[in-house]
Order: sequence, then structure tokens, then C-alpha cells
Amino acid sequence: MGDEENWRRFEQLAMPHLDAAYNLALWITRNTDDAQDVVQDALMRAMRYIGSLRLESARPWLLQIVRHTCYTWLKENRPQEKVLLDDPEDAWRDLADASSTEPPAIAIRKAERAQINAAIAALPVGYREVFVLRELEELAYNDIARIAEIPIGTVMSRLARARALMRAALAPATRPALRTVPRPAQTGQKP
Amino acid sequence: MNLNDDSWKLNAFVDGELDLAGQLEIEQRMELDDALRQQVETLRALSVAVRGKADRHEAPAALRSRISAMKHAIRPQAPTTARRAQSALRPVATALAGWLSWRPLVTSMAAAAVFAVTLNVALLQSSKQERLMDEAVASHVRSTVGPHLVDVLSSDHHTVKPFLSSKLGFSPPVAELPLPGSVFVGGRVDYLDGRPVAALVYRQGDHVVNSFVWPESASDSKPEFATERGYRIAHWLQGGMHHCVISDVNREEFQRVVDAVRATAAS
Repeated sequence: MGDEENWRRFEQLAMPHLDAAYNLALWITRNTDDAQDVVQDALMRAMRYIGSLRLESARPWLLQIVRHTCYTWLKENRPQEKVLLDDPEDAWRDLADASSTEPPAIAIRKAERAQINAAIAALPVGYREVFVLRELEELAYNDIARIAEIPIGTVMSRLARARALMRAALAPATRPALRTVPRPAQTGQKP
Repeated sequence: MNLNDDSWKLNAFVDGELDLAGQLEIEQRMELDDALRQQVETLRALSVAVRGKADRHEAPAALRSRISAMKHAIRPQAPTTARRAQSALRPVATALAGWLSWRPLVTSMAAAAVFAVTLNVALLQSSKQERLMDEAVASHVRSTVGPHLVDVLSSDHHTVKPFLSSKLGFSPPVAELPLPGSVFVGGRVDYLDGRPVAALVYRQGDHVVNSFVWPESASDSKPEFATERGYRIAHWLQGGMHHCVISDVNREEFQRVVDAVRATAAS
């Protein structure tokens, strides 16, 4: 397996996923220059192991390397950024229970692009990566578990929390004053 | 405890990641439980909003060329080539910067003039293009969420072609795509750019592909690709027809679909 052969494999297997690689790196680092450096670094690593790659798993394989490179980079360059992993349920429990007179689905549908981007960017990085892999890369739980190197159960709980946080950001509970108005019991939640 | 338990389950339900028994259980409970149904609707709305509106960043051209440059950087097979490759590119950038700063006034005036002209031309064209892209996305979305995906539901192009010709006053190329996983669903009459157009509908796996066609007398052109609200769009001129293909499949698959549409339109 000469250099030429390796490069050809690399172009065929890894290059088609360059956008996915960059998207993940940018959402993790939140900085375009850093994302470019990280992706280049990651692809350099990928190139070295390209001989051992099987065709069908190129995308998760490459994204796993990209994610790994991102974290190494974050540790070196932004040690203050807390990698929020399995924290106790506290803050999140309140969010999931937010109630409102307007169904949250409607508020979310009305959300603007910038608002959605900002809400994703504000997620703790451990939730953000899982959320981005699911919603923007549309990967299966299996692949996400492999890329983020966590069990499937953890993929599920992080995704649930990421979405609860997104929901809280995009569909905040309406002013509590509205709910103090007395209403007949059966019209409670639904318009 | 109950809430947490449900929460991951509902997420997995919305993602289609529960086993069959689990999916059915939630579906049954949804029929009886308004609050549960609302939670599911919220999760779905979130998915749709994020996929439709959040940025899925594409690798910049500069990064692409940096990666391609690795081909040469990688020859020496050194263990830590990453940093070296970066520094190998730096001299080129420095040289370019040096050249640009050589005669700053001339450079900037020339650049400003070129910029002003291209900007004017580009603005004129881009507003027309943007409108077309916008309309194409709107048509595509309407076709996928509404009940009106096709006028003729037929995988037989001998049925679809005469139907479209009779409604449109022109005869669009109608054919199945020679692609694995591609299914020809049918055709419909739609409006784009202020005129009736033929819309050919394909399914590529779980995704819908709309391929719009209308006559436009201009010479053939290469496909131009764009991403608009999360959808991929390509449009080009071929054989006196304007083609516009749109879908939410991934980039590689989209390229294959576009290649297939071009190939069938040429034959």
C-alpha cells in the first residue's frame, strides 16, 4: 500500500465527509479558525490509519477522530471550558416541567434561525455534540455512541437533556401572571 | 422519576430508535394522554425547526485546499506531520501577503473597481436567483408536508410524460434515475419563476427529491449548487431546459442524484 494508494482511499472514503467533519468541529469549538485547524489535524491523523478503515463505517470513523482531536485541542487551549458530563439531574428537572399557556411546539416553530443557532451554541459541549450529531448529521444512536465513546443509554439521556434545554431556550414559559386568571378546569392546557 | 423515564423514551420514540413494542406502547399512550402527545409534538417541532433552520456548516474552500495540499505534505511519512503541513503552507501565504502589500494603493483601487462592477452584476443576478431558490424550497416543502406530492402517481414514465405535456405545453424529459435506492414516484404541475413547470418526484431512501423542469432558451451550463434553509439545490441549463433539483439528502447523495438527472436528461 503505497502513498498513492493510500491517498486514493483517503479521497474516496474520508473526503466526502469533510463537511460533516467541519460542521462537528465548528459546533464543538465554536470558532471557524480553530475548527479548520482541528479538522486539518484530524484528517492528517485519519490519513495515517486509512489502511485499516472499512468502507461502510467511514463517516462515524472520521467523526470519531475529529471529535477526539477537538477535545485534545480544547484541553490544551481552553482548559476553562467545562466538559459537562453526567451531572446530577438538578437544573434540568425544572426545565422539563416548564408549563405555558401557548403550546411550546408553536413557539418553537416560530423560532428564528439566529435564535436556534444561539441556543445550540449555548448547550454544554457534552450535550451539544450529541445534539448536533443527531439533528444536523442525522446519525443513528449507535453511531453517536461510537463517535462520542459513550454507551447508548448515555446518548439517550444526553439527547433528552439537550432537547429539554433547547426547548427551554426557544419556548420559555409565558408570564406566570397569565395562569393566575381563573379558568374553567377543562380548558386548562389546550387552546 | 416517572418524568425522566418518559423523557428519554419519548426522545427515542421521536427518533425512531425504540423497538417495535416500545414504539407501539408510546403510540397507544399518546391516544389517551394529551400531555404526552404535546410533549411528542414539541420534540418533533424542535427537530423540524433545528433541521430546517440551524446552520450545518460546510467546509470552507480554504480548508479543502489545505487538505488537498496534504497529499504532498504526507510523502515524508513523519509521525507528527500536522503542524509541519500547516507551516509548509505559511510561506505561500506570506509571499502572497507580501505581494499584496507591495503596491497597496494600486491593489486596493483595482480591487475596489472590480468589486464594484461584480457587485452590481452579482446583485442583479443574485436577487433573481435567490427568488428562484426561495420558490424552489417553498415548493419542495409544500410538496413534502402537504397532501399534494404528485398529480400523477405512477412509476411509469409513459403515463407521466403525456400527462405533463398536456398540462404544460412543453414536453419535459421524464425518466427513472439509474440509482440504487431511487424510486420514481410521479409528477405534478407546479409554479416557479412565475410560470408553470414540471415537477418530477423521486424518493431516495427516506428522502423526497423534487426535480423541476421548464423550457429556457439559453446555452447549456454546469450545475450550480446551493444550500437554502437546510435543503440542497442544484440548477443548470441543459438541452433548452432549465433544471432545478432540490432535496434534503446528504451532500454526496445529492451529487449522485444530480449526476443521474443530468444523465437521463441527456439521453
